[in-house]
Amino acid sequence: MAGRGEVVTGGREAYFFIAPLLLFVFAFIVFPIAGTFFSSFFSDVTFMGKKFIFLSNYTHAFSDPGFRQAFGFTLTFIAVAVPLELFIGTAFAVILDQELPLRGLWRACVLIPWAIPSAVSARIWQLIYNYGYGLANFIAVHSGLADGPVNWTGTASGSFIALLAADVWKTAPFVALIVLAGLQAVPSDLKAQARVDRATSFQVFRLVTLPLLKPVLTVALLFRTIDTLRIFDVIYVLTGGGPGGSTTSVSLYAYNYFAGGDFGYGSAVSMLLFMVSFGLSWLYVRLAGFGEAA
Amino acid sequence: MKKIYLPLLAAALAAFSACSKKPAELVFSVGGAPNEIEVWERIIKRFSEEKGVPASLLRQPTDSDQRRQGLLVPLKSEKANPDVFLADIAWIGQFAASGWLEDLAPYAAKDGTDLKPFWPKVVDFADRYNGQLSALPAYVDAGLLYYRTDLLNKYGFKAPPATWPELLSVSLKIQAGEKKANPDFFGFVWQGAQYEGLVCDFLEFASSGEKAIAFSDGVVKLDTPENIRALTFMRDTIAKNRISPPNTYTEMKEEEVRTFFQEGKAAFERNWPYAWGLHQQADSPVKGKVGIAPMPRFPGGTSVSTLGGWHIAVSRFSDDKAGAWELVKYITSPAVQKELALELGWNPGRMDVYSDKEVLKAYPHFAHLEKIFANAYPRPNIPYYTQVSSILQRHLNSALSGASEPGAALKAAESEMNEAAARYR
Repeated sequence: MAGRGEVVTGGREAYFFIAPLLLFVFAFIVFPIAGTFFSSFFSDVTFMGKKFIFLSNYTHAFSDPGFRQAFGFTLTFIAVAVPLELFIGTAFAVILDQELPLRGLWRACVLIPWAIPSAVSARIWQLIYNYGYGLANFIAVHSGLADGPVNWTGTASGSFIALLAADVWKTAPFVALIVLAGLQAVPSDLKAQARVDRATSFQVFRLVTLPLLKPVLTVALLFRTIDTLRIFDVIYVLTGGGPGGSTTSVSLYAYNYFAGGDFGYGSAVSMLLFMVSFGLSWLYVRLAGFGEAA
Repeated sequence: MKKIYLPLLAAALAAFSACSKKPAELVFSVGGAPNEIEVWERIIKRFSEEKGVPASLLRQPTDSDQRRQGLLVPLKSEKANPDVFLADIAWIGQFAASGWLEDLAPYAAKDGTDLKPFWPKVVDFADRYNGQLSALPAYVDAGLLYYRTDLLNKYGFKAPPATWPELLSVSLKIQAGEKKANPDFFGFVWQGAQYEGLVCDFLEFASSGEKAIAFSDGVVKLDTPENIRALTFMRDTIAKNRISPPNTYTEMKEEEVRTFFQEGKAAFERNWPYAWGLHQQADSPVKGKVGIAPMPRFPGGTSVSTLGGWHIAVSRFSDDKAGAWELVKYITSPAVQKELALELGWNPGRMDVYSDKEVLKAYPHFAHLEKIFANAYPRPNIPYYTQVSSILQRHLNSALSGASEPGAALKAAESEMNEAAARYR
């Protein structure tokens, strides 16, 4: 890496320039996490006073049916939603990478769902699924696909699929954006060379483009997994965690405890969420080999 | 370089400190629809002028969960701001037990404020906690049965049903006739979504007064024949008897139920009194065709209206408690309570306003409300109510969806609620 612009001195200067960022990270990330971690060792309920109970909040979480249900739901949702988002997002990116007429317009259109705040888009989906006047039932009934209106969010699996559609619709554009940037970094002479060697379009994609996209896809996977792990707004608006608690995410579960005044248990649940997302991030980064010389 | 950062930092600090309030100004925190906020603004301004106590309004959103969140943070961190606020009846137990609410009894005793005009039962159940007077009612709510007078006449019924089985048979009969012209018609709409409203409705179906969800020494018994009968009846209104729409347990909250009935698509509706004024609006299809009655009961049970409403309380961390008490007295005074009733259709927190001629002229149904409020039943007034309620909501909703049997759902709820109670006692 040695080059003309190499900085030889200036350790102190560097700290000075990095200080605002470090300050920001400490004030808004490290400090709150440490605070949550600290408070997770306490029975900190507004109406009971504070008491050190060490790991009791954590042991309680593992035997708490509500937490287990929420944890199971969240992991299942990630396992289904994230691969779907990556697949659809990559497909969009590949299409948008082609020399299409009005390409700029299509790109902007695909990004719209991502630009809409989640609470607003969840509200839109709620109106689509509405039993009495929703678009989904309008189409189902008028096209003859269903005899009468369908209660889309009436079962655990129905709610799951409803949430899945709303979430994938919103976040696949984000994946498309990242992958599109990656696609544009793939040297076109490599692809041209492969074509000279009589590779089909699919082979070019699979053998040339895809391997070069690996770092970008890993980043997308990482972002989407962590983001889905803390899913809250779509669920809060769309199903409220129902029916029968079947779509309660860990974040929503923790939120309910904070609202009820139990800051200790709410913190422990949040910390478990943080640990899982930290562990997953570490795993992804290891697997993608970011740590090695790139 | 440092020269640039220091002034910036100073400016940021100055901006932060500017956010903290000037001393000796009362801050009243209240949420609601824009028209409600407008009325509050006016009341607070007039209070400042009349009493010479500077006061301002801290606006909160309409959503009740967010309003609670907005109070939880300053109270937990013992901020002097807000001094006075409105709290939902279901939060008072938690807030009082957390030591966040100033005992109002000494203030009332000192200046001889008469508490008799408030419903004794409402004050005793909701506002008294461990012998202290935590709040006073500013707005009283209770569940009502709304019915279509024209449809009852049309199908030859003289009076609204007094029992749940009766409501079922009347609903089935009206529905059979009405569905011919209007396939979207249903007999009875109520709140079945997974949220606090479901617990309120459950208490009413149970028709066993406070016994339906009673904690004694931190132990609750839910798996009772009365409760199983109620939950089975609730579930059967949807899937089996089909007098309630299929989305009852997924989408039906107050407003969904209210619009469904208002569109003329139901014969009966369970809702709070606020729906009355909206049903009577000029453009309402059911205008002039609506009656209200006490909630039905099971034979041998009692008619139950779940008590709701907003109460006014003073923060224990307030820096002007005397001024705060003045504001509490002002807002619960007959004049302001009457103003809130006339302007917003609010149900006054004190009984004397219900016999006011002007109020009765505008809201003839207030004559019925007074009796219904006198017999309303509260939800358990315990500090950990939020936690046990969310467990109960989950299991009730699960039974409504058919994912679990009523008996099993109540049993599971009971054991989880008892565990929660053991943790929080």
